[in-house]
Amino acid sequence: MSEQDKQDGDGHRAVIAEYVLGLLDPAAHEAVGRRIAADTMLQREHDFWASHFSGLDEQFEPVAPPANILPKIETRLFGAEKRASWWDSLALWRSVAAGALAVAAVAVGFSVLQPSPDSSALANQLVAALQAEGSDVQFLALYDGSGAVRLTALSGATLPNNDYELWAIQGGGSPISMGVVPINARTTVELSDAVRSGWGEGSVLAVTLEPKGGAPAGVPTGPIVAQGAVTKI
Amino acid sequence: MAMQADTSEIADLIARCALRDRGAFRQLYTRTSAKLFGVALRILRDRAETEEAIQEIYIKIWQKADRYVAGQYSPISWLVAVARNHALDKVRVKRPVSEDIDAALDIADLGPSPERQVEQAEDSARIANCLGTLEPDRADAVRGAYLDGFSYEELAQRHSVPLNTMRTWLRRSLAKLKECLTS
Repeated sequence: MSEQDKQDGDGHRAVIAEYVLGLLDPAAHEAVGRRIAADTMLQREHDFWASHFSGLDEQFEPVAPPANILPKIETRLFGAEKRASWWDSLALWRSVAAGALAVAAVAVGFSVLQPSPDSSALANQLVAALQAEGSDVQFLALYDGSGAVRLTALSGATLPNNDYELWAIQGGGSPISMGVVPINARTTVELSDAVRSGWGEGSVLAVTLEPKGGAPAGVPTGPIVAQGAVTKI
Repeated sequence: MAMQADTSEIADLIARCALRDRGAFRQLYTRTSAKLFGVALRILRDRAETEEAIQEIYIKIWQKADRYVAGQYSPISWLVAVARNHALDKVRVKRPVSEDIDAALDIADLGPSPERQVEQAEDSARIANCLGTLEPDRADAVRGAYLDGFSYEELAQRHSVPLNTMRTWLRRSLAKLKECLTS
């Protein structure tokens, strides 16, 4: 490329920076935005400028917004009835969890009434309520005493780009994956030999938020959104 | 510095918003709304418009929270970018169309593609230092575009130069800036 070509190319080379600065007019901005989304080299150029210019962000002076803004946003997002979040009403949330445990107890009670229950299996039944502060994801886990955990989500939202993954943590060892679990259906998870070897009262079940398909390397990468120790019932 | 703890706490609040935690959203708003209101007000220069825009900005943040990838941007930069881009979208539609789309889309030879190194990149001293290598009025024009959302027309008026001169200035300045930032 000649020196003259390089000179002429300056404008074109700067177009991604112009996009980040917001200098393009609406149609050009949209068209360039589509090109960036479809081209990893342009994405890299975009991220280069966006992250460097963000070094100027501290020059934006904070200005307190009026107090009536947050309620307006919450109404627009969560509806006029504004169902209380569990953060706002821990008591309500606790009663939900307690109710869930009561349901579990009833479920176990029914199984006692079944003809000829395997008494050793029954003695080994375990239950866990999985929850975590700051998260509205809750699961209830019931170990049937013979090798499988039944799992029901009590609350939580499905997310387009993430899956929930169940882990067993026992005896101070590393978490052992028990697979991706759905939030909108009941599931039964068979205990693997690795989980079964340390399984018992005090084992902890945890649910983490992972990329679609589960943690790629078999170790948790996302935040724990629910956890609980299993106890005899 | 307190910033560090702030950063990880804000990243955590965004992650919890992705989990639909409304309490976390409220905390995130409490912690960051003054900054984002400042960003939008500076670009929109109209209080009533900014009060509407800030609502839309936080609605976007709630809806896009699962797309924030920790480590790619600092959480506050990500939030500022959502606010800044939203405000720019609002001012952009009012601007006269003055550019040839085909010319803008003829993206040629970007030169060496820099690998992203966020910690370095977001260092405010780095960009300030490289802006310092430009002539002062040209550095001002770049800052005016980023911080005030000025268009080419506004920049040309403020600096009393013809529109095309401003375009040439700025494009040359951006090429120089890239050289400095990648060296």
